[in-house]
Amino acid sequence: MELFVTGIGVMTAIGNTVAENFHSLKVARTGIQRSAKLGLMLGEVSFSNEEIIEKLGLTKIDYSRTTLLGMLAAKEAWGKNEHKEEIATGLISATSAGGMDRIEKYFAQAHHEGMDTSRRMTYENGRTTEGIAKELGIKGYIGTISTACSSGANAIMHGARLIQSGRLDRVLVGGVDPLVDYNIKGFSSLGIYAEGICTPFDQNRKGLNLGEGAAFLVLESAASLSITGNKPLCLLSGWDNSTDAFHQTASSADGKGATLAMKHALKKAKLLAKDISYVNVHGTGTQNNDLSESAALRNVFGHKMPPFSSTKSFTGHTLAAAGAIEAVYCILSLRSNAIFPSLNFSTPIKATGLIPATSFREKVEVKHALTNAFGFGGNCTCLIFSKKM
Amino acid sequence: MLSALEPSSEILHPDYTSFIPARTRRRMTDGLKMAAVCAKDCLAQIGLEQPDAIAVGTSMGCSLFTKKFLKKIVSFEGGLLSPTSFMLSTHNTIAGQISLLLGNHQYNMTHTQNTLSFEHALLDGMMHIEEGQNNVLVGAADEREEELYNIKERLHNQDVILTCGASFFILSSHASKTNPIKLVDVKSLGLVENVKLKVLQLLKANDWLAKDIDLILYASSHQTTKKELSELFEVGQLFDYQRVSGLYFTNSAFALNYATDILSRGKHPVEAKSVKKILICNNIIPENLGLMLLEHC
Repeated sequence: MELFVTGIGVMTAIGNTVAENFHSLKVARTGIQRSAKLGLMLGEVSFSNEEIIEKLGLTKIDYSRTTLLGMLAAKEAWGKNEHKEEIATGLISATSAGGMDRIEKYFAQAHHEGMDTSRRMTYENGRTTEGIAKELGIKGYIGTISTACSSGANAIMHGARLIQSGRLDRVLVGGVDPLVDYNIKGFSSLGIYAEGICTPFDQNRKGLNLGEGAAFLVLESAASLSITGNKPLCLLSGWDNSTDAFHQTASSADGKGATLAMKHALKKAKLLAKDISYVNVHGTGTQNNDLSESAALRNVFGHKMPPFSSTKSFTGHTLAAAGAIEAVYCILSLRSNAIFPSLNFSTPIKATGLIPATSFREKVEVKHALTNAFGFGGNCTCLIFSKKM
Repeated sequence: MLSALEPSSEILHPDYTSFIPARTRRRMTDGLKMAAVCAKDCLAQIGLEQPDAIAVGTSMGCSLFTKKFLKKIVSFEGGLLSPTSFMLSTHNTIAGQISLLLGNHQYNMTHTQNTLSFEHALLDGMMHIEEGQNNVLVGAADEREEELYNIKERLHNQDVILTCGASFFILSSHASKTNPIKLVDVKSLGLVENVKLKVLQLLKANDWLAKDIDLILYASSHQTTKKELSELFEVGQLFDYQRVSGLYFTNSAFALNYATDILSRGKHPVEAKSVKKILICNNIIPENLGLMLLEHC
C-alpha cells in the first residue's frame, strides 16, 4: 500500500514556514544564537506566544507554547484540506515537554512565594494535542507519542501504520517541543550541553544545543487522494522502530538499535543501502550519539556512505519535534533535488572517518531520503521518504 | 468479586526482589516497579522470553521523577545538579526500562493520551498482530501523584478514590489453549459528542448486537454516560469498574484485566449468570471515549 505525503508545515529557529526553512538551509544560516537571557546557545523560534495567538486569532489565551507552536505548523501542513465524512481523519502529535512551560511558571511562583499553586498544575501531553485537534476541527483518533527525542518520527510511523491497517484514510502527524528550563537544565546536568555552537560529527564535538519547533505532515491513502484530489509531494516508503537495550540515556558503541532501525526500514521500503541518496542523521553533536550513530551508519552503508548532514546545526536539538522537522527536510531534499549542509564541521571522527556534506548542493538526483531519530530508553527510529515514480 | 476500594485501602506491593535486580530496583519508583513486575510476570505465564513488540500507555509517565527534578531546578543555587531524576523522567522510561530488563531490541512505543493512553497502546499491539507478529507485550502504568496534577478536578471531582496501577498483557496471534479470550476490537475516539452512537457503530462494525453482550464495564465522571448506555443495555448489565480500580488515567487497563478474569471464570461479578461477551466503555473524560470488545471463544 502506498502512503502519500500531501502537506508539510514547519517552524524552527530558521524560519516560521516551509519556505523560510528551505531558504535558511540553502544559504547556510543557522538559527542557533546565544540567548541574552540565559547565556546559552539556543535555537529559538522568533514568534512569541502573543504573536502566535494573534496570528491564529485565538480567543482563549492560556495555551501552552507546545500547543501554539503545534497549531501553527499543523495549519501550514493541513492547508486547504476539508473535513469529509467519508475520509477517516486522525491527528498524532509527539511531545516530550507537553505543558511543562506552564508548570514551570507555577512551580517557580509556588517556590518563591511559598504558595501552594502546585495543585493547579498539569503537564499532560495529550492535552496539547487535543488543543491542536480542536483548532483544526479534527475528531476521532487523536493521539500523542512520547518517546523522548525520537517521538516525532514515531508519530509519523504510527500514522502510517493506522492508514495501512485501514483504520484511517488521512492523518496529520508530527511533533512539537518548546524550549523549557526543565530540558535545558536536564541536558546541562548530563554534561552534554555545548558551551559554544554544536559541531555534529566532528571529532572535537562538545555536545548539543537545544532548540524549539514543530513540524507536521499530512499522510493519505490512495482512496483519500481520490476524494481530496491532493497532489502527492512524495511517498513515505519505509519505517522502523528498534531498541538499543543498552542504557537508559546512552547509546551502545556498536549502534545496535540504530543499525536495526535503518536495516528494517530499508527492508520495509524494499530498498538497498545503495539506493539512498541523502541521509539526515540524528547527529546531536554529543560524543556518545555521533560515535554510536556513525558506527551504525558504517554497519548499514559500509564504505559507500551517501551524502549526509545534521540539520541540528541549524535548528538545535528540538527533541520530540526533531524527527518530524527532519522528515520535512528530507521531503524538501527530494522535492528540490538538494543536499543540505552540516554546519561547523572540520575534522572527521577518527574511529569512523565519516565526512558530512558541508555545502548546499543542488541538481543532485535525490530519489530516496532517510532520516534517523533516537531517544532516551534506547529508542531508535528510521524513516525513508521516496519520490513517487 | 473484587471488593470496592475504600479510602483506607492500601496499595499492594508484590515481592519485587524476584523480578527486578537490586541495582535497578533501588532507582525505581513504585510505578516503575509495578510495571516491570507485571511485564515480567506476563511473559513468565506463557513461558516467553522475548515479545515481538512492546507498547505502553501512560498519561503522566514517571511523574514522581518529573516533580523531583522540577523541585531541584527551582531550589537550585549553583553547583552540580544530579541528572538521575531527569534521566528517568521521560514518558518512555517505563517501556525503556522493560526493554533493558529483558534485553529486548524490538519495537518499543509509548502512548500518552491522558485517559486513552492504554487504548492507544492496545491498538498499537493489535496492529502488530495484524502485521504478522506473534506475541506483543502491551500495558499501562500511572503513578499516584496528588500534588503534581489536578486529575480529580479535571475529572469533575468524582467520588472515587485516587490511586495508581499497572496492568500488562500479552496479545498473541494464536488463542491460548487454557484461556482463550479474544480481543475483538478496540477503538479510541477524541472530541466525541455522542457516546451511544459510537458504541452502536462499533457493535455494528463487528456484527455484535447489544443484547448479546453479557456485561458492560464502564467508567464515567458524569451521569450522561450511564444514561446513554442504559438506553442500549439493561441497567443490570452495567458495572462501574472504578469502584474496584480507583481513579488513575490508565485504569481502563485494569478494566481489561478484570474483564479477562471474569471471562476466564465465565461468571458475572454480581449476578448469577454466565458471561461470554464484554464491552469496556471508558468515558472518564466526557469528550474521550475508549471502547474494547472481548469474547471468550
